[in-house]
Amino acid sequence: MKSNFKSWPVIVVLTLVSLPLLIMFTFQLVDTFTNPIPGSIWPESFTVEHWRFLWEEPELGRSSIWVVTWNTFVFAATTAVAVTTISLTAAYALSRLNFPARRFFLGGLIILHAFPTITLIIAIFLILQFLGLYNSLIGVILVKSALELPFGIWIMKGFYDTVPWEIEMAGVQDGASRFTVWWKLVLPQVQPGLSALLIFSFLSGWSEFVLPLVLAPGNEAQVLSTYLSALILDDTKPDFNLFKSVGMFYAIPVIAIYLIFQKKLMNIYGGGSKG
Amino acid sequence: MNRRTALGFGFLAPALLVVILFFLAPVVLTVFFAFTNMSTSTGIRGGEYLLNQSILRSIPEDAISTETRNTLENAGYQVNDQGLAKLAETVSPATADELRSLHGGARFDSRRDMERALKDLRENRIRSTRDRKAAADLFNTSILNTRYNTEDAFRAALAGTNVPVGDHDALTSFAYTGWSWTTENMKLLFSLDSSYRYAANTALYVALTLAFNVGFGLFLAISTFYLPPVLASTFRTIWFLPRILPPVLYVLMWKWFTWDTGFLATMTGYLGIAPRNWMLDTATNAWVFVVLINGCVGASLGMILFSSAIKAIPTSMLYASEVDGASRWQQVRYIILPQLRWPILFTTSYQTLSLLTSFEYILLSTEGGPGRATEVWALAAYHTALSNYGGNLQYGLGAAYALILVVIGIIASLLYLRFFNFKELVSKPRIEQ
Amino acid sequence: MTKKFTGALAALMMSVAAVPAVAEDVTITVWAGGSNDSDAYRIDAIAMAADMLEREAAIRGEDLNITVEGKRDFGGWEEFKQGVTLAAEAGTAPNIVVTSHLDIAPWSQAGYIVPVEDYLDFDAWPLNDIYPNLLEIAAYNDVQWGLPQDAESRPFFFWKDTMRAIGYSDEEIAALPGRVASGDYTLQNVLEDGKKAVDMGIVEKGYGFYPRPSNGPDWGQFYQSFGGVLQDPETGKLVLDKAAMQAFYQFFADAVEAGLTRKNHIGTDWGQWYSEVANGKAALWHGGTWHYGRYTKKEGNQDFFGTIEFSLIPAGGENGRPNTITHPLVYLVTDQANDDHEEIAAQLIKIASEPRLNSLHAIKSAHLGISAQQSNIELYADDRWASEATERLLGEANAQPNHLSYGVFSEAMWSGLEATWTGVKSAEDAVAELEAELTAKLGDELIIR
Repeated sequence: MKSNFKSWPVIVVLTLVSLPLLIMFTFQLVDTFTNPIPGSIWPESFTVEHWRFLWEEPELGRSSIWVVTWNTFVFAATTAVAVTTISLTAAYALSRLNFPARRFFLGGLIILHAFPTITLIIAIFLILQFLGLYNSLIGVILVKSALELPFGIWIMKGFYDTVPWEIEMAGVQDGASRFTVWWKLVLPQVQPGLSALLIFSFLSGWSEFVLPLVLAPGNEAQVLSTYLSALILDDTKPDFNLFKSVGMFYAIPVIAIYLIFQKKLMNIYGGGSKG
Repeated sequence: MNRRTALGFGFLAPALLVVILFFLAPVVLTVFFAFTNMSTSTGIRGGEYLLNQSILRSIPEDAISTETRNTLENAGYQVNDQGLAKLAETVSPATADELRSLHGGARFDSRRDMERALKDLRENRIRSTRDRKAAADLFNTSILNTRYNTEDAFRAALAGTNVPVGDHDALTSFAYTGWSWTTENMKLLFSLDSSYRYAANTALYVALTLAFNVGFGLFLAISTFYLPPVLASTFRTIWFLPRILPPVLYVLMWKWFTWDTGFLATMTGYLGIAPRNWMLDTATNAWVFVVLINGCVGASLGMILFSSAIKAIPTSMLYASEVDGASRWQQVRYIILPQLRWPILFTTSYQTLSLLTSFEYILLSTEGGPGRATEVWALAAYHTALSNYGGNLQYGLGAAYALILVVIGIIASLLYLRFFNFKELVSKPRIEQ
Repeated sequence: MTKKFTGALAALMMSVAAVPAVAEDVTITVWAGGSNDSDAYRIDAIAMAADMLEREAAIRGEDLNITVEGKRDFGGWEEFKQGVTLAAEAGTAPNIVVTSHLDIAPWSQAGYIVPVEDYLDFDAWPLNDIYPNLLEIAAYNDVQWGLPQDAESRPFFFWKDTMRAIGYSDEEIAALPGRVASGDYTLQNVLEDGKKAVDMGIVEKGYGFYPRPSNGPDWGQFYQSFGGVLQDPETGKLVLDKAAMQAFYQFFADAVEAGLTRKNHIGTDWGQWYSEVANGKAALWHGGTWHYGRYTKKEGNQDFFGTIEFSLIPAGGENGRPNTITHPLVYLVTDQANDDHEEIAAQLIKIASEPRLNSLHAIKSAHLGISAQQSNIELYADDRWASEATERLLGEANAQPNHLSYGVFSEAMWSGLEATWTGVKSAEDAVAELEAELTAKLGDELIIR
């Protein structure tokens, strides 16, 4: 907004408090392409050797970065689609349809919304095992989607709530079924929420750490987060710039998606509801 | 009416299925687990029946007779008629005859001695190790170290020994390797000093992080509000990164920043301060960074919510206040903050619960250290049940930890439901009216 | 029964002379815990053994095709054990695991592993050449559950330059291992010498005595140094010797108090830790025999024997004894639906225990060998560290007990040490809490002295 207040003091203060983060980001980026002066943190020479993990063959007992990346992508993308689809229908029912026990489901949703899910992981393990999905990507996807669901439904309900009733009324009066009204008239109205949720759950899946760590420890289902954390704990290879490059490689899609879809993503909290 | 109901449930069905499978069922199971002694050695699936020396030793003196103990411990391997008959049947009568002539009636303490005896066979050698082991097994009169899948199988084996019938029931109950029901976990939880420390840590963690989240979120939202749009969105972008960067990498960046060869130590080194690991140096340091790491993530959420709430304030109000000569501080204090009451309340209550149960960032940064100073309740549950150096996974006790969080979570949510005017949320759909 | 299973059975029933050749493809998965790049032979040796087993099968006219899949990039022991336990619980355990011998008790009780003695003849080569005491460590309840994969022990280290600077002559330094072994040089001397080194400014404050920065088997050594016993030999129960435990905790509190050891030492990054001790930043410290490899290669200490002296862990005082704990990793075979896969796994770990194969691991990772004949393998015999460490340390080495509740015991012992070390509790209070916790958790399985 235009204002007669000076902005420079604000800029100075903001810059100062942002400095630690800025320094971290900068070093994170610079270190992946440079070698430091021995014994210090300052870069000395340019190199691409820290990125060698991209083309070198993995040793026996380690996974290939490309397989791991593919796993991560499948995990994140499937989770995003599952969360979004299920949220779209469930939120519509909760927002617009009248059916018995709706109050109960809404209350339940709010409780789930703030639930200590991760502490239930032992029980979740047992259920996956019963389903035969332990140590598989599908299992982790299911669990991750489930844990994201209350958030997704909550967000989508917020978007549905803002759709004017007149649109649906008009549809119903023209003789269309509720389903058709939803599909043809309402969905386009909540499209911003849909994209935001899709992107948001993708990022969330891409970042997930504890679930794959516990529920899919095998090589076949390894994802980038567990790959990176295991790499760093291997104490005979303190090649920090290599770690940073792997980290950077891991973060590039996130940053790219964020920068491209920033506007859409910010809609996630714009559903008009209180959360 | 029916069709409408069907549509409602139909739309809800996929979500319901997932919620039942991965929320409700785990909660119910966690309640059960919390009252079992389930651990690595009992397994989760239920047990089998096994006697060995350790188990025998752990049976109290008076539970079984000394005769029983001796019978079980001294059974060993016997080259008896029964075994020889089986050997004749499975291998050949000639083999059985040769063994009878060599070792007929002999008794061996260990399986290895029995196998050695079988190696003495000359005319009818048993060449394969696996076959020899199978043959040795025919002469085993001990039930120690053999696993029986069912109680019946175990009792049948017991009946085949000379153990007095009176001790069979006691032995069967001690031989069960699976878990059993107990209320010990809860008692243990409330008797351990560490539980109270973890609870205090959790309270501290939630309070500090929340204060940071809200306070700093407010600061970011208000300060960026006063900036030209391009600058404002630049700063918001920077501060939104902690929220979307993968936690593993985000925490690593902090680690690299605070290591004793990292940026912070290098800078303070120029000031003559000896390099140190700033994150883990003391408990206070660890707390500062735990709060900062979590706080920067949480603050971005506050920033977004508060920013959109500020945008909703009519600009005319702000202009008017400026014309009236209000200072910036007065503007914030009397116009902006009152508008933010509701979002602040929401953020606070929502994040209290999520902080209470979150441990990912602490696990990745301090792992509860130094000296368990930053071990919070949820992390203790995770460590107890699933992750410790000795690999001693105590599912039962861990579930007891988790159960307490579940109870707190449900109570808090119900309170919030009352507080945040639930009726407004469930206003009736209008089409059906 | 499918044709494949019948085929597998036939291929393995070696007693039958003429077996029709049936192609058999088997995938054997190996998970190795706590393994870095230098420990690659824990998995590679299995792959080499598979080649051998295939050739043996081919000569017998069977077509056996084994694929070895390994995994060792776990976050740490915690993640590894969690992974194996849950996988075993789900029935998808890897065929072979390389892990601590302490896991034998709980994992055998839970039925996750099968005894290797069900498949292997211990009177035959190469198993009859493995040191009996190491085999003993891989046994539980008189059943041989696994094979030792390597041996090691955990010595005490002295930085020679620092010792010289605080007044030791070269002869006196050379005599230290002997003095430690005889109980003449104790942990009280460690406190004195460490303090001297700090006070004289030869090492920085907090570097007089520089212990391991995390939980591990090492701590039992200091408990033993003060006369503590881990397991009662008569009853097999675990033992909490309160006086010894308190003296052990107090020693670390004293070391912190005197400025020898940093209060916030626990949690120090391992990379930093190695680089510091390998280059003389610490006066006295303790570690493991495999540290030799790390110091001399990665950390670039070219003159290990010229810069570092090593000995047993000194006695705590009059009542204690000098000691060292050996903590061999073991090969275990997990319970599988198909017994023939268990058999193949057992055969593979047997072949991998051949002196020549095991020496590759021992020397590459600076561990000690498992069998007598390794001293006739040049690679092993020519290695000064392997021979000197074996001679000086292994004779006095004992292992931690294979006991169902030892995990609880050692976790609680570590918590108490952490609390004393970081000043959260006095040694006395920490022992009181330890006693309360162990009594509650172990009950009859514990003897308190």
